[in-house]
Amino acid sequence: MLLFRSEETVDHWCQAHRVPRRPLITLGQLWQLAVIWYANRLTAESRRPAADEMASVFAAVGLEGPFWDPKADTWRSAI
Amino acid sequence: MSLDLDTTVKLAIYTTIAETAAAPTAVAVAQRIGAAPQQVEAAFTRLYEKRLLVPEPGDPSRIRMAPPFSGVPTAFPVEARGKRYYANCVWDALGIPAALHEDAVIPAADAFTGERLTLEVKAGRAVPQECVIHFAVPAARWWEDIIYT
Repeated sequence: MLLFRSEETVDHWCQAHRVPRRPLITLGQLWQLAVIWYANRLTAESRRPAADEMASVFAAVGLEGPFWDPKADTWRSAI
Repeated sequence: MSLDLDTTVKLAIYTTIAETAAAPTAVAVAQRIGAAPQQVEAAFTRLYEKRLLVPEPGDPSRIRMAPPFSGVPTAFPVEARGKRYYANCVWDALGIPAALHEDAVIPAADAFTGERLTLEVKAGRAVPQECVIHFAVPAARWWEDIIYT
């Protein structure tokens, strides 16, 4: 995932790399994900969320749909 | 509490990175925890299977990624605790202050224009900044090529 100043520069990047534009998220959403994912990473109990947990995490910050489904195999046609 | 080898190795890796801002080799981890380097390399492989670690391609004794930390310099430096850490992506760049529970400055840039785009974490929050984050790869495929993702 990459950082951009604006949606306009995202579009320029996608055109330059000949890739379709995918979902954008805000800095606030990304910070929430970073905290959920990594706040306990330096502890013995830390682990990567399982697929079902990931879907719940994404939904909790407003990210839903096949693109955010770790088990999806239909994202190509759904985007 | 007695920890299993994989957990002991994981903690040694993350403690070393947090302390030094550099990823340890299998030999360094082995010295730190009093194990054989071969045992630690095997633990690296198991931690990779748990998606907690990415060994260096072609050299399983070295660490490319211990998310959110990168074992090599990247376009996402993170300044915290008076050190310069490196993250694997912009998500991980925020993940480093989240993991360290520290303020941080992230001197990043717009991926297309190169315009400087500094992010900051202060008092447990990301300081608002005019920016967006683009995910090019869907979640189901992130670990197909995690270094690219």
